[in-house]
Amino acid sequence: MDWSLLFQSYGAIFTSLQVILMALLGATGGVLLGAVPGMTATMGVALLIPFSFGMDLIPSIALLLGIYCGGMYGGSISAILIHAPGTPSAAATLLDGYPMCQKGQAGKALSVALFSSFCGGVLGALIMTFLSPMVAKVAMKFTSAEMLMLAVFGLSVIVSISGKSISKGLIAAFFGLLLATVGQDPTYGAKRFVFSFRPLLSGFSFIPVLIGLFAVSEVIAGVERIVAGDEKQESSHEKLTRVLPDGKTIKTIWPNILFGGIIGTFIGAIPGAGGDIAVFVSYGFNKSFSRHPEKWGTGIPNGVAATESANNGCSGGAMIPLLSLGVPGDAVTAVLLGAFIMKGIQPGPMMYVNELPTVYKVFAALMLANIAMLAVGCVGVRFFAKIVSVEKKMLYPIILIVSLLGAFAINKNVFDIGVCVLFGVVGYLMNKFEFPLSPILLALILGPMCEQNLVRFVDVNNGNFLEILHRPIAMGFFIVSVATIIFSIYNQNKINKREAAAAQAEKAE
Amino acid sequence: MKKFLVIALALSMILGSTSVMAADYPNKPLTAICPWGAGGGTDSCVRAFCEALSKELGQTITVDNRTGAGGVTGHEAIADADPDGYTFGSITFEVVTYNLLETSEYKSYENYDPLCRLNADAAGVTVNAAWAESNGITDLTSFIAYCQEHPGEVRMGGSSNASVWHIAGGYLMNAADIDIRMVTFADGAASAVQAAAQGVDVEGVTVSLAEARSFIESGDLVCLGVMGEERVAAFPDVPTCVEQGVDAVYYTWRGFALPLGVDDEIRQTLQDACAVAVEDPDFIQYMETAGLGIAYLNAEEFKEFLQQQEDVDVPAAMEAADLL
Repeated sequence: MDWSLLFQSYGAIFTSLQVILMALLGATGGVLLGAVPGMTATMGVALLIPFSFGMDLIPSIALLLGIYCGGMYGGSISAILIHAPGTPSAAATLLDGYPMCQKGQAGKALSVALFSSFCGGVLGALIMTFLSPMVAKVAMKFTSAEMLMLAVFGLSVIVSISGKSISKGLIAAFFGLLLATVGQDPTYGAKRFVFSFRPLLSGFSFIPVLIGLFAVSEVIAGVERIVAGDEKQESSHEKLTRVLPDGKTIKTIWPNILFGGIIGTFIGAIPGAGGDIAVFVSYGFNKSFSRHPEKWGTGIPNGVAATESANNGCSGGAMIPLLSLGVPGDAVTAVLLGAFIMKGIQPGPMMYVNELPTVYKVFAALMLANIAMLAVGCVGVRFFAKIVSVEKKMLYPIILIVSLLGAFAINKNVFDIGVCVLFGVVGYLMNKFEFPLSPILLALILGPMCEQNLVRFVDVNNGNFLEILHRPIAMGFFIVSVATIIFSIYNQNKINKREAAAAQAEKAE
Repeated sequence: MKKFLVIALALSMILGSTSVMAADYPNKPLTAICPWGAGGGTDSCVRAFCEALSKELGQTITVDNRTGAGGVTGHEAIADADPDGYTFGSITFEVVTYNLLETSEYKSYENYDPLCRLNADAAGVTVNAAWAESNGITDLTSFIAYCQEHPGEVRMGGSSNASVWHIAGGYLMNAADIDIRMVTFADGAASAVQAAAQGVDVEGVTVSLAEARSFIESGDLVCLGVMGEERVAAFPDVPTCVEQGVDAVYYTWRGFALPLGVDDEIRQTLQDACAVAVEDPDFIQYMETAGLGIAYLNAEEFKEFLQQQEDVDVPAAMEAADLL
């Protein structure tokens, strides 16, 4: 580590008005894009690439990283306020974010999300600065066997996000896994459940299903409440005196932020695994280690902190294989790779030798992008929090329109609007019968990853699955998965018993 | 009476419009459909070319990414577009596979009106360096000899199922008379390259050199031959397969097409504009730095090329790659 060069690079970045301006511009755009379901940071980055072509490398990278970081945080805003995650990476934020909003703590949830995003992002940037080569080396070891077991580990989290009834959670999860099989199979291209209906060839798109299950179902339920006359306007008496959480809150959430940021950074560094997986893994992990697992999912800041720190950690993580190996960790970094190449710089091991000042400036630019995101977020939180006080009769139509537009925008496909509405109804019915919705999401994200890696692993080993015993990292994940499941079941039983006892006691009185 | 007037007016507009339209074409912005996602190889190709084309036509061109179903959605959107000359799109290699895979309603390139071919990127035969060394493989000839001694044992990663690089493996097998195992990487070429560099799951890859570049440069992978007509500019030391006596020429390509039924004059205007735009210095510079090869063919040549691909080359390669 060349310290003086590192400080010089930071100095150069943090004193360049143009770079700071670009990062702020990017972060503003990113937060807004991220907050609209169906609009993603990838889209924003791709659209701005031609625009940044005329700029120098560092300002354009600052702009693109600003969008990236802003988008990661932006997704949480709609997840918390309208139950529709703006990006797949914010899908787990609604587990605790939306209940917080319903409890009248929307402002607090937003500020926790912002603070955790910032800390997670900084943690990711630090890990990237100091540990890149090591992390990249481990992340590169993730091929079929390891990816399979990482997906299995992710799936084991279902048990801990199922709520009261694990069997209902598993039913939802298997429903999700079944949905994930629709379309052409990833390995051989066999058509499954397509019924000669062409739009189903590529299966259900993730984002329309996501928006349908969470946002549209909420609108349907809301309309039902209004018609029945028992919709109560949430009293938005919450005084938003500060845009960042207070010391007491920070004291309770910092372990979640720390774990979340590290988990996020590492998962982000694995090519093919990104924020959408990291958030659930972080949520499950943090819940398992919590002293009060029963409170998770009821609207506690810890849940928001665990997920938001993880997805912003991801942005630092995804930069690791990009810079040190020239391998993009996700869609956004694939676009960034293009930006580097356009400027005549080929990311990879040689970049550390030939272009070290540029590498350090990228580290600094990521740090700056996170600070820009914090600044934009601080200004924005006050405005976003006001959405809650909009009268529900006005809000629901707007949510519905934004949802359907978002479902359409992702592929510009009319069929996706239908998918979105269909899953709105499905989500509404599942809520009615108290099935948890998140297992479906997790299954949709991890099902295909599990399937393709399982098939590939068995294929390359001539059908001998037991070869996996020779893969220590994979077996490590497997053992942790089993432990997670056992632990979660034990925990849930304890919670259920305690609740039953409390109900009994209440009856007796 | 009113009705009659309306009909007469409408009729005259329809009859009158074709000639008027062709004369002052283009008088409004155009749309270019891209069947692949924003930020990918095809997308950047399309965006860079449309930039140059819009200079030539004097109208802005909006790129519309219609993704899904392995490119089928976007390709069909081009074929289904209004043939007024204001919507065209990028067709890619995959279009000649849809008939064989039975995925698209439009079974042939004949459902499109080809404008020009723009780009071609050759596949490479790239293997894990340590594996090659321990088996005495130094060039394509020794690789082929090894594969003939160990039929069906060598595993090569070829990106997602029925993708251009998957089929590349079939081409290689046919041309060199060997039997290798193609392994599918549904999440794309990057994962295949990563696995090959680790020497896990596969021994090598048949993706483009650009995609394997960083690992070739780091020495984890070694490219034995490029399946292009000429050597790749960025890798002047890597010989072609033809140079080594193996007649394997195989590449992915990207071109442009209109829906059928566009006015002849309008088509001509667009074809001429394409021919000029491909010479645009900004476009050439962009393609060079992005590592994308320019391989222009005019509409006639492109049509012949498509016919050869669809009728002969691709079915044979897909057969060899066990895709049919």
